Amino acid sequence: MSIRSEGRASGLSLSMLARRPEAGSFVGLVVVYAFFAFLGGAVFTGAPGWSSWLNIAAEVGIVALPVGLLMIAGELDISVGSVIPASSMTAAIVSGHYGLPAPVGIACGLGTGLLVGFVNGYLVTRTRIPSLIVTIGTMFGVMGLTLGFAVLIVGSTSVSLVPDAFTKLILGTFIGGMFNVSMFWWAAFVVSVFFLLHVSPVGNWIFAIGGDRESARNAGIPTRQLTVALYMLSGFAAAFVGILQLMTYQSAQVATGQSFIFNSIMCVVIGGVLLTGGSGSVIGIVTGTVTFAIVNQGIFFSGLDPNIGSVIIGALLLAAVLSNDTFRALALSYSAKKK
Amino acid sequence: MDLITSLVRRPAAASVLSLVGVVLFYVIFGGVELGKLAGAASWVNFAANLGIVAIPVGLLMISGELDISIGAMIPAGSMTTAIISGYYELPIIYGMAGALAVGVVVGLVNGILTIRTTVPSLIITLGTLVAMQGVVLSASKLLTGDASVALTAPEWSKFIFGRLIGGSHQIIIFWWILIAAVYAFVVHQSRYGNWLFAMGGDRESARNCGIPVDRMTIILFVLSATSAAFVGMCQAILFNSAQVSGGMNYIFNTIVSVVVGGVLLTGGFGSVVGIFFGTLTFAIVSQGIYFTDIDRNWSNLIIGVMLLIAVAMNESFRSMATSASTSRKK
Repeated sequence: MSIRSEGRASGLSLSMLARRPEAGSFVGLVVVYAFFAFLGGAVFTGAPGWSSWLNIAAEVGIVALPVGLLMIAGELDISVGSVIPASSMTAAIVSGHYGLPAPVGIACGLGTGLLVGFVNGYLVTRTRIPSLIVTIGTMFGVMGLTLGFAVLIVGSTSVSLVPDAFTKLILGTFIGGMFNVSMFWWAAFVVSVFFLLHVSPVGNWIFAIGGDRESARNAGIPTRQLTVALYMLSGFAAAFVGILQLMTYQSAQVATGQSFIFNSIMCVVIGGVLLTGGSGSVIGIVTGTVTFAIVNQGIFFSGLDPNIGSVIIGALLLAAVLSNDTFRALALSYSAKKK
Repeated sequence: MDLITSLVRRPAAASVLSLVGVVLFYVIFGGVELGKLAGAASWVNFAANLGIVAIPVGLLMISGELDISIGAMIPAGSMTTAIISGYYELPIIYGMAGALAVGVVVGLVNGILTIRTTVPSLIITLGTLVAMQGVVLSASKLLTGDASVALTAPEWSKFIFGRLIGGSHQIIIFWWILIAAVYAFVVHQSRYGNWLFAMGGDRESARNCGIPVDRMTIILFVLSATSAAFVGMCQAILFNSAQVSGGMNYIFNTIVSVVVGGVLLTGGFGSVVGIFFGTLTFAIVSQGIYFTDIDRNWSNLIIGVMLLIAVAMNESFRSMATSASTSRKK
């Protein structure tokens, strides 16, 4: 009797675990890590391996979090790809070219991100144009503005900036020569977004918007303000990554960041967020980001042709969405089984 | 007046207006000489390469799906041609068949995954995009040890697929016009076109009406992947070499062309003529800027603004089109 109830309890908790949105992505992470640990050996499982994928994960992860929130709310943001160079270019021009103090440059860079986010949010909520198209439009627009102003003001497509010691320390140092300080910022972002999505009432609102925008509005949720705020958050996060890159590499280029568009979407989707909205979790997004970064960097430790890495990522993405489908079906059908 | 309203209600109206608007903008603010622009080859070549891919992508969008894997299919097509006929020195016909076959296979994968799962096609084709990039890169490294392969195509194949007419206009322009005409006929004259619009409007009802929705979706994905491979193949034959990189720009460029051309992202609305003019508009904005006094660095800004204006125009024209029947009763 007791054995049976025990068995039932553990079976229940197992199925409960499997029903969580991040279950599939966690299994993927374990498999991928084991695979590369086997091929890469001690170098990959030691500090060099961890630092290389953590550095990648931190940068993509900071952008992936708000992109994931937007996706949960049923929207896409392509413009992050051009906000990153726009913000680092702005900060470099203000602080590097004009020689103003670093905090002013950083504020201007982050302000650029917030502004682009506001424009995105405004256009998405005030018109009926799908967010994919709106943000493609702003992506091209911001790209053109960045390039145009950089050439107009500085006369070059790359601007250098030598940050003061303190700014360099908190935004662009390599700890122990390997671990970029950006991973602490990523951790801070993870904690804040986790609180926002899973603890504060705003989180429920985000899920409600993604599930059914009309009903959410009728239930009194300020859907417009929240959508604009989410776009501003993703603009801010992308701008922040731009600042981190500027402080780390001490120069800003107009043509970086394009890879972030699809990489952030892939991290989020591998992490079990539903593209059509209404389902997902912060733990899932983090797991997806780490998985992505491990494949991306682990391949260099494995002795395989590095290009195989993108085949693995593509296959992983498809496997992730397919298994997420299965897990989600499990989760949704569970109540029916109860009777 | 009736003529004007009926013209404005056509899906292509906004794209024609965008085209006129962009040309006027360049003439007034950029000091472009129209004759010089019309005689230039650069934007027509650009439009033809883009347009051959944009039409099937637009048709997919009309049916309610997206295909971004084309970004990897263009280098895949040119690399396959170059590896088979350039590196292994087999007759060019095998290389061409190989390139198109790669397109068919990837299209089949995209289509089958889209209809068999509930995963959105954006994510599926993102997966195949990334995977194909890796496959093309590692296959070319593995087989040839290089990321760029030379190809000497025989005269007849260059004559048909890759020569410059008058030293500047690529032969692919004729392919574009021919292909666009065929698509326009099929979409707007045959029953398959109606099926397409029905699928984009309401997939479930379309299936219940007996439309082979699944088969149509697979065919459309095969068409778009194969068209991209075809463009890659023509480029390899024209330039006598193939690179693994390139093609990523096509992803957003096709989407912008199609949307400027009046296709509704959510499906069920659009036209081949609209996509044709949308592509022309995009090509003139991005390549025509070299003929203006405007600094070319601003071209992306103009593309972004044009996209948003064109989409906003499409929105208002579409509501005019759908409300047209109610105004008739007066």
